[in-house]
Amino acid sequence: MLLMFALSPFLVLGGGALLLMLAEVFSRRPSGLAIGTTIVFITSGAFSVALWLYGIEFLPVGILSPWILVDKFTLFFNVLLCLGGALASLLAGGYLVEYKLNRGEFYSILLFATFGGMMLASAGDFLTLFLGLETMSLGAYALTAFRRASPRSAEGALKYFLLGSFAAAIMLYGIALVYGATGSTDLARVGAAFSHGVVTSHPMALIGLVLIVIGLLFKVSAVPFHMWTPDAYEGAPTPATAYMAVVVKSAAFAMMLRVLLTSFGDAESMSWSAGWPPALAAIAVLTMTVANLIAGRQDSVKRMLAYSSIAHAGYLLVGVVVALRSKEQAAAGVIFYLATYTVSTIGAFGALILLGSYGKEAVSYDDLAGVGKRHPAIAMAFSLFLFSLAGVPPTAGFFGKWFIFRAAMDSGFYWLTILAFINSVIGAYYYLRVLVFMYMREPQPGAAIAVPMQSRHVKAALLLSAVFVLALGLAPTCTLDAAIAAATTFRM
Amino acid sequence: MELAAFFPNNNFSLIGVILALPLIGAFINGVWGARLGKPAVRLMALSSVGLSFIASLFAFCALHRASEALGHGEHQGAARLSWLAWEWMHTNGGQFLQTVPVELKFSIDALSGVMMLVVTGVGFLIHLYATSYMANDPGFARFFAYLNLFVFSMLVLILGDNLPVLFIGWEGVGLCSYLLIGFWFDKTENASAGKKAFIANRIGDFGLLCAMFLLASSTGALDWAGIARGAVSLVNPSEGAQIHIWPIANAHYTGWLQFLQPTHPITITAATAVGLALLLGCTGKSAQLPLYVWLPDAMAGPTPVSALIHAATMVTAGVYLICRLSFVFVLSPAVMALVACIGIATALLAASIALVQNDIKKVLAYSTVSQLGFMFLGVGVGAFVAGFFHVFTHAFFKACLFLGAGSVIHAMHSRVHDDVASQDMRNMGGLRKYMPITFWTFVAATAAIIGFPFTSGFFSKDEILFKAFVNHSVSPYKTELAARGVEVWEAPTWFGPMLYTLGVIAATMTAFYMVRALVLTFFGEFRGWSIGRASEAQHGHDLESAEKAGHVHGHGHVHGSEAHDDLTLPGDAPHESPWAITLPLVVLGAAALFAGVLNMAPFHFEPLGHWLDPVFEQALHGSVELRGGAEHAEALMWPLAGGGVAAFFVGTALAYWVYVMRNGEPAHRLATALPRVYRFLVDKWRVDEFYNATIIATTEALATMANAFDKWVVDGILAKLTALIVAGFGSFLRAFQNGVVNTYAAFMVVGGAAIGWFMIVPHPEVVIKAEGAAQMVEATTGPGYTYRWDADGDGLIDDEQFSDRSKVTVQVEPGAKKTIRLEVKNAFGITRSKEIQIAGPDAPAVQMGLANAAQ
Amino acid sequence: MLSTYAPMFMIIAIATLIAGLFYTFATVLGPKNPTPEKMMPFECGSDSVGSRGVKLSVKFYLTAILFVVFDIEAVFVYPWAIQFRQLGWFGLASMIGFLSVVAIALVYVWRKGALEWES
Repeated sequence: MLLMFALSPFLVLGGGALLLMLAEVFSRRPSGLAIGTTIVFITSGAFSVALWLYGIEFLPVGILSPWILVDKFTLFFNVLLCLGGALASLLAGGYLVEYKLNRGEFYSILLFATFGGMMLASAGDFLTLFLGLETMSLGAYALTAFRRASPRSAEGALKYFLLGSFAAAIMLYGIALVYGATGSTDLARVGAAFSHGVVTSHPMALIGLVLIVIGLLFKVSAVPFHMWTPDAYEGAPTPATAYMAVVVKSAAFAMMLRVLLTSFGDAESMSWSAGWPPALAAIAVLTMTVANLIAGRQDSVKRMLAYSSIAHAGYLLVGVVVALRSKEQAAAGVIFYLATYTVSTIGAFGALILLGSYGKEAVSYDDLAGVGKRHPAIAMAFSLFLFSLAGVPPTAGFFGKWFIFRAAMDSGFYWLTILAFINSVIGAYYYLRVLVFMYMREPQPGAAIAVPMQSRHVKAALLLSAVFVLALGLAPTCTLDAAIAAATTFRM
Repeated sequence: MELAAFFPNNNFSLIGVILALPLIGAFINGVWGARLGKPAVRLMALSSVGLSFIASLFAFCALHRASEALGHGEHQGAARLSWLAWEWMHTNGGQFLQTVPVELKFSIDALSGVMMLVVTGVGFLIHLYATSYMANDPGFARFFAYLNLFVFSMLVLILGDNLPVLFIGWEGVGLCSYLLIGFWFDKTENASAGKKAFIANRIGDFGLLCAMFLLASSTGALDWAGIARGAVSLVNPSEGAQIHIWPIANAHYTGWLQFLQPTHPITITAATAVGLALLLGCTGKSAQLPLYVWLPDAMAGPTPVSALIHAATMVTAGVYLICRLSFVFVLSPAVMALVACIGIATALLAASIALVQNDIKKVLAYSTVSQLGFMFLGVGVGAFVAGFFHVFTHAFFKACLFLGAGSVIHAMHSRVHDDVASQDMRNMGGLRKYMPITFWTFVAATAAIIGFPFTSGFFSKDEILFKAFVNHSVSPYKTELAARGVEVWEAPTWFGPMLYTLGVIAATMTAFYMVRALVLTFFGEFRGWSIGRASEAQHGHDLESAEKAGHVHGHGHVHGSEAHDDLTLPGDAPHESPWAITLPLVVLGAAALFAGVLNMAPFHFEPLGHWLDPVFEQALHGSVELRGGAEHAEALMWPLAGGGVAAFFVGTALAYWVYVMRNGEPAHRLATALPRVYRFLVDKWRVDEFYNATIIATTEALATMANAFDKWVVDGILAKLTALIVAGFGSFLRAFQNGVVNTYAAFMVVGGAAIGWFMIVPHPEVVIKAEGAAQMVEATTGPGYTYRWDADGDGLIDDEQFSDRSKVTVQVEPGAKKTIRLEVKNAFGITRSKEIQIAGPDAPAVQMGLANAAQ
Repeated sequence: MLSTYAPMFMIIAIATLIAGLFYTFATVLGPKNPTPEKMMPFECGSDSVGSRGVKLSVKFYLTAILFVVFDIEAVFVYPWAIQFRQLGWFGLASMIGFLSVVAIALVYVWRKGALEWES
């Protein structure tokens, strides 16, 4: 029974997904599905919180190891992914109805993909890891292709699928090589083998490491493995974009932390002259810079947000690099950043959704001209989320950046921090550009004006996100403590 | 008992109620005020402040109980009720990610408790008054939203437990003051008066900010208790703890700037620097020299605002801050002396200007500046209780005076319909008959301010004067510093008597101009019959009226039906104001008369003094010497009180003689006899003109230059160029995003290959550490790396076999250089080598034989 | 070492044998009555001659995919069946869970109408 309790977040999400699937086909009236999905997400998240409070040390989670590791790291990510999923399904509840896409499988896919994400965050073995990865990715491909009538959607999905399978294959090959060298797929045992110098006797383990790192970098859409991202993000229906930018990315970072810190966390693999951290640092700088520079040149706000999510992956990679000095600090910083990033990004996409309606979508900067006057409340919410993404205090994003940059400074990565800081200034430029258009421009005479949709779902999602953004900015203590506790999983 | 159980001393959340009520009032009135209608706005505004006052009373009782519990011992310490509202960030989880020390913490102690009661109590009365005074103003809801917000900010200022929180309140009251001065913003004068207040206050805030940084760096704390603990480090005479005045930031001037380089850096103690910076902040907020100029102009705001903000509460914030940080000020006798000097100079200057003003609000404004000067004098001589007591009594009598003046203006306005003329005392007179309640309360408050014996002002002012005479500020660490050969500046012996004498002169002037105002307003015959709507044309010719023009208000006063009468003829008389105006007057007038009983120093009945003693205990410990000893000082108490009484008699008698017996004729004669002096005083010593010509002109020139720089260099070159470069790179990079999936895959492969290449090719890197005479060369690790070395620099590999040996020790002679070589082989059998040049230590070291590191 | 693989080689051998036998017997014993229709290469019932762009109903693929999905799911039952006793009640419960999920999927597919050819 206690084992069931330990697995309850997974069981609730999986069972809920199945129930909703049946409900959809039997009712033929998918209007209540969004709320149902949200409730399933929230319930699953609530069970995770309950587990956290109950104390996982009192639960027989050992027998699940290494397939599913129920630790604080897992639970934190369960909550985070469920929060992202809940907000995304609320957005979908408004968006799909408005754009006549209201087919119930969206919600099932959302739930199953999140299930995969949770599995990814909790996997202690390469097999379950890969299973979770594919469950999540397949869902994401399907979500991207959800606008069946739109060629962009199909194109984006196809590219995503092709490159995604390519990356998955690369990663799988890496896993195979590592397994061949170490004789185990258990992350911890792989880690033990690496710290006992498996590379010396089996050089292919090192190739395996490289291939796995490439697969991880693809999933977090780091430059130069990012090129599918803008196309997929733009083609997908906006709630799916928000979902991918938030949940898929968070789960991918959870996987990255787990794999890199557990399996490849030995001193030699993490050497600053020859290990993965310098490679990751270079990728981080490249990611931030390229994404920010291109984001500034976009005309479509949605595409700008897609590039912005790539840039955020760059900041997060800076946080991962900190593991070189302190794994715990790195994990804590990244986890907390993901929490702040989740609520801000979902909010920003949500505001963009709310500003448009069928045939009168808000896509480009010009569509946003004068919104500040016409719809002050939405404009204010949008500004709040953009401020958070830009890292302006006292919003959530400020603390996210602050902890990562500070951790990088503490670890002596001054140049990395400075570059990240310069990049966040460049980032502020294009976020604020939205504000300039909203508050200081008037629409061109005769230009099509975006008309906000009427949706309580989307408004609820925005309100929730705004509350979280402010709460994390004004009183980050509680969440930060949780992130630090979750990071103790990687304590040496 | 029950109350104490709900609100423990260290989590006294009742403070939250006290603070939240005005804030909620401000929010509701500000957001929905226009829709709610006037009765609801009135109810909201009054109930929020009123309930806050009641909550304050409860809090005060709890504080009293807490201090009782501490006992009345000699070193009982200050009772304190504190409430931590919110911490910005605080982690208890890890050894990293430390706390951001931003705490929104509030506390009530004896000092802030009294202040809190004054703010909410007087604030409530003035709110009540304003409901009637502003009844017909279209901005009714906005006014009360601002006023409630002000009460909230003032409470934050008072109750803040650390400087940052105080600063929030400090800025908040400044903002509210700005908004309320410019409340009738459609008049240019009002808007510019608001701006003037804002700018003068910003200068002061700069000082306060500097003080905060200095305190944080010297004492390591910003909360009161922490500063008090670390205060001793402020007087540290050692080189590092001093503040360098010149050269700034320890710069070193060479070349043609050599002359700027002093032989010894000019330094002051941190205590003096902090004191000066705080003082700058206080002079800004409390309208002292040299930043007092904004306060008289601030009278452009509605009269209740003048009473609440610019007389009773906000302007005393500077005095409050000095009292609050008294233990910092006393560390530097020079700063104390400067506080006293600024106080007395301001008192004299403002009093002299008030002598000749004709606008009733102007007289009261300069009188406020002058009284604030007295308060500064008090705290500057170490008489913190006396200074604060004057804050307390002044709140009552000056609020009463302003509200009385408002009542008069209200009445006059309904008669003469002219903003300027209705404030001009030359148009008043004889109002005693028409508005008896206003008259009697005005008399009571005037009696208090001029020091009529045994009124509140008498006790507070006399104690300040007495203390100014007998107190002598010394450094509390005098003996310790003397032992280390450091001398601390002390005021000369004539300093106290001088302050006393000048104080008596200022008090005499106070008595004169206040009695003059009283007589001109209420006695004699009403002179307003001949002024009416036509007066606008009329006073255009009147030079003297034009002098004091510019501070006007007057939307929304009662415009009764008599407005259509022929006003050049005797018409409706001025009338008494409604109860909402007179009730606050009566209460405040009574308080002005009798509040003095709380601290009757000459009768040795000082409950307020005892109440406040714990607060000032640390400050007064060893920092004040009594001239001629305690016995002597005691003996001087009554004789010195004579000076104050004499000032009252002389000033009053002179005014009575001039304005009642001779009907103002001597004043006219004097003005014609000494026209230049008269003009000089009427022009307010031409300080504004002086500032215009010097500071503002310089600032404007600088601003013009900065503007040009910004336009051409910053905007033109830097911003545009940067944007262009960023945009160019963006466009370049965007070209790769061509939508072809093959390209995407190709980039992935290239990226993957780069990572692979990096990981698969070994990287021979070393870290060199000096270890005694030898240097340790350590190769960085990498996956599957093995090493071999040429550590002796002979060009030959020491050991053919690759091994795990990642460190070698190399000894190089001083001044010599040596090239060693490292080869790294990784698991794939790829080898890379690196030559490393190692230089010997710079300084000649003991000759040593070369040790082969291979051994 | 190689003996581990002996069963595998045996299976290969037997399979080859059986296939060879069937082919041989069919060729030798079967009646031969060739027509041009019969001699054409057989391609899943469709004409192998003509334009390449023959339009096939998407239903073919859907059905095929569904077949593959459920076929693969069924494969998981075999190893379980072999280890049935060792796995015990836990194994039974797991398999019931697994089959319920498959059943739900089947119900879903059914209700969605994916199994109906005409719609």
